[in-house]
Amino acid sequence: MEIIKSNVTLDAKGLACPMPIVKTKKAMTQLEGGQVLEVQATDKGSKADIKAWAESTGHQYLGTVEEGEVLKHYLRKSSEEEKVEKKHPNVINNEDLQVKMASNEKMVILDVREEAEYAFNHIPDAISIPLGELEGRLSELNKEDEIFVVCRTGSRSDLAAQKLAANGFTKVVNVLPGMSKWAGDTASLNL
Amino acid sequence: MSKKVAIIASNGGMFDAYKVFNIATAAAATDQEVAIFFTFEGLNLIHKEANQQLPMPEGKEHFAEGFQKANVPSIPELVAMAQEMGVKFIGCQMTMDVMGLEKEVFVDGIEVGGAVTFLEFAKDADVTLTF
Repeated sequence: MEIIKSNVTLDAKGLACPMPIVKTKKAMTQLEGGQVLEVQATDKGSKADIKAWAESTGHQYLGTVEEGEVLKHYLRKSSEEEKVEKKHPNVINNEDLQVKMASNEKMVILDVREEAEYAFNHIPDAISIPLGELEGRLSELNKEDEIFVVCRTGSRSDLAAQKLAANGFTKVVNVLPGMSKWAGDTASLNL
Repeated sequence: MSKKVAIIASNGGMFDAYKVFNIATAAAATDQEVAIFFTFEGLNLIHKEANQQLPMPEGKEHFAEGFQKANVPSIPELVAMAQEMGVKFIGCQMTMDVMGLEKEVFVDGIEVGGAVTFLEFAKDADVTLTF
C-alpha cells in the first residue's frame, strides 16, 4: 500500500452531508494554488459530492482511496499556471510521444506533477519527481538521456524542462498538453 | 460569474429546516450566491427560540435517534454556518406584521423585505427552490 502525499489533511470523519463539503471549502482556502488536500470522510455520499464540488469550483479531483469505513479524497487546488506562456523550445505532442513509445525507443518519461496526481494516473514507466523537488533530485537523472517531461497541461513541465536545460541536460522535450488529454495507456499505484 | 440560488422557505418543521439549510450551505460552499426568503411558517427556521426546537412531523418522532446517530448538525449550527458563508436571509415583512413579530426575535443579520426584495434577487437566479 502506497502512501499518497498531501499538503493538508482534513478530518471530516463522522460528519453528515453537507458538512464534509463545507469543511472542504474552508480547508481549501488555507492551501496555495497547486497544493494537495486530503479529505477523510465516512459519509458515503461524499465521493460523488466532492467530485461534483471540485468540478463546479474549478479545483482538480484526483481520486479517492477507500480504507475500510474511511474514504480518503484527494483534491488539488486550482492555480494560475495554465496561463503561463511556454518557453522551452523543444516540444512534442501527446500523439507523437505515443508513437515514439510504441516504437520502443529508449527514452525517459519524467512526470513532474504532485505525487498524489501521479499516484492515481500516470504513463506506465514514467518517473515521478514533482516540480518543487526537481532541483534537489537532478542527480537521479542522466544528462545524456532523452527526457520527455510531462505534467497535466504542459506548464509545470515547461518550467521543469527549462530547469533541466539550464543544468546541462541536452535532450529535454516538453510534452504538450500532457496528462489532461493523454489517450494512451496509464497506470496507477497500488492503492 | 458565480451561480445564484434562490430559495423560498415557507414551512416550519424540522425536516423543512434541514432541506433548506443543507441545500443552502452546500450551495454556498460551492461558491454560489444564495438567498433564502422566509415566509409564513418558514420564519420559524430563523426565530432565535423556535428554531432550537422545531417539531418533527407527527408520527416521525422516532427519527430523532437517527439524526443523532448520523451526527447531523443542529439547526442553529447550520444557520450560523450558512450566514458565515454569506447566505443572505430575507424575512417576509408581511408575515412578520401579521404575526406581530419584530426583527429582534430573529437571528442577527437578517434583512427584512417584501416579496419584491426576493424577486429582485431571484429574477436572474440559476436555481430556484421552494420548501
